[in-house]
Amino acid sequence: MKAQSKLYFYLITSAVLLVIIAVLSLQTGVYDFGEKSPFMALWQLIKGDSGLSLSDKYVIWDVRAARIIMAILIGSMLAVSGTSLQGLFKNPLATGDLIGLTSGATLLAAIAIVLGGHFKEYLPEAVQFSLVGIAAFIGSFLSMMLVYRISTSGGKTNVVMMLLTGVAITAIGFSITGFLIYISKDEQLRDLTFWNLGSLAAATWTKNIILAVVMIIAYIVLLPKGKALNAMMLGEKDAHHLGINVERLKKEIIIIVALMVGSCVAFSGTIGFVGLIVPYILRLLFKSNYAFILPLSAVCGSILLLTADTFSRSIVAPSELPIGILTALMGGPIFIAILVKFKKSL
Amino acid sequence: MKKFILAASVLVAVYSCKKAEGTAKENTTEATSEAPKSNNKIVTLNGGITEIVAALGHEKEIVATDVTSTYPASLKATAKDLGHMRSMTIEPIMAVNPTLILASDKDINPELMGKIKSSGIKTEVFKQEYTVDGTKKLIEQVAKAIGNTDYQKLNDKIDADLKQVQPIAKKPKVLFIYARGNMLMVSGKNTPMASLITLAGGENAVTDFEDFKPLTPEAVVKANPDVLFFFETGLQGAGGNEGALKMPGVSQTNAGKNKKIIAMDGGLVSGFGPRLGEAAVGLNKLLIESTK
Repeated sequence: MKAQSKLYFYLITSAVLLVIIAVLSLQTGVYDFGEKSPFMALWQLIKGDSGLSLSDKYVIWDVRAARIIMAILIGSMLAVSGTSLQGLFKNPLATGDLIGLTSGATLLAAIAIVLGGHFKEYLPEAVQFSLVGIAAFIGSFLSMMLVYRISTSGGKTNVVMMLLTGVAITAIGFSITGFLIYISKDEQLRDLTFWNLGSLAAATWTKNIILAVVMIIAYIVLLPKGKALNAMMLGEKDAHHLGINVERLKKEIIIIVALMVGSCVAFSGTIGFVGLIVPYILRLLFKSNYAFILPLSAVCGSILLLTADTFSRSIVAPSELPIGILTALMGGPIFIAILVKFKKSL
Repeated sequence: MKKFILAASVLVAVYSCKKAEGTAKENTTEATSEAPKSNNKIVTLNGGITEIVAALGHEKEIVATDVTSTYPASLKATAKDLGHMRSMTIEPIMAVNPTLILASDKDINPELMGKIKSSGIKTEVFKQEYTVDGTKKLIEQVAKAIGNTDYQKLNDKIDADLKQVQPIAKKPKVLFIYARGNMLMVSGKNTPMASLITLAGGENAVTDFEDFKPLTPEAVVKANPDVLFFFETGLQGAGGNEGALKMPGVSQTNAGKNKKIIAMDGGLVSGFGPRLGEAAVGLNKLLIESTK
């Protein structure tokens, strides 16, 4: 019970921090609201005040608020998918981008974008989004199956095999995306490059609703799995003896993580390393206790991505830095730190 | 937990810096801008369109432009630069409180377009055709969008300029190379550059593909151009004439052997606006010189 209240304390503290950062992020931007603060503008909008101009309303609600919510949703899902994979593979290096899920999702999403363009305009908006989303899910699911099949034998996962499979999938994805780049026009080329580095600039409420639905379904299944993942650390046999349905647990995690990574990639492009950084920091604080770090990574992932996104759109304003550059910059050193720490066990 | 607090405080610091910077910028705009002709606040997102708006006498109404809008140079002081179309986001556009956004269908990315549409700001997206007639049509459409009927003089000037283009007996094969960093692209059929080269009395060296494609040594040798044509900034970036001669395949071509390399201002030659005639005449002169 004591551990439970400690978890709630950390969850509430980080949620408060997330709210503070969201408020600061809401205040950050090049648009000038004149006399009132952006927060006042949002308050006026919530109250239904008619004094709010259309531009003010648009910027506060459809631009900034939509983007902040998207950063929160995607950051949370990427971090949770990283944490779950690390629990499943019993390894701190397992994340969606390192084992090729992101790359697989990116590839199929890119194909859907290029080829889907022919009939896209005849489809309603929600279906257009899910077309790319479904493709991205299939891409990440296939990559996940491949990684799992190749790297696991007799219930044990070979880490080197896992990472190398990730390298191979990334190489294949890169080459086909490269082909798409080659046949694309100059302006499409810029879009593809920009999209490969990730961006939350295209956030809309429609996308947010879809992401939120995916997240809620995923978390209902995934978040109570902390204890099961703790048991998995003892090895699959011992976990089985403790009453865990190991095969079912693995399947659930694989499908849900593929779904989360796929939908994140479909809406924001490739944003790497979030699934590596967040669990790493949490593990430093709480050891590998998944009952703790799984729910906490859901909030801390949002904190990380929202902070990074606020930087990405204010550092080089009025232009913006692709967010993938920032997360990779943070993730790179942590990746090396993990490699050094686990040098012997790899 | 310390890391979170650190991150939050850095965020506060960045935010306060930005705020201070914003106020400073506002003061400078107030000091330099003059009263515009009408209450229009126009954002132009294409170099050619910007030139048309300015040439029609509405330069002071332009409040922000994209990176390709380099002419007239005086705009730099009065209009905000929103950067490249492809990395542009909606908020900086909203920040200048525009009443009208003018863009070309070729530049704008669909996601930004979606955002602009839902912002409710009046927007005109023009179909740009890289021909003389297309340019005249664009001038007429832009003029109508900003409520100006006095556009005929611009079209007449294009015709007058084009009359000065001298015919070249043996049409030189011209290869346009778009150099930007390590990326080298050549212009195929149906590109603005191919169209301008034809207007200036030359012949586009690439005939087997459309649009821009990455430069390959074999393709250069096969095209065997008489003249290499660059944007001035592109040629500088590629290391000047010497750098261009060292590009893969170039030394095997007529242009490489005779060291025929020409460069013009990127905004002038790719704008397809009121200075189209000027651009054609300028290129025509350079081609005549290089075929002597």
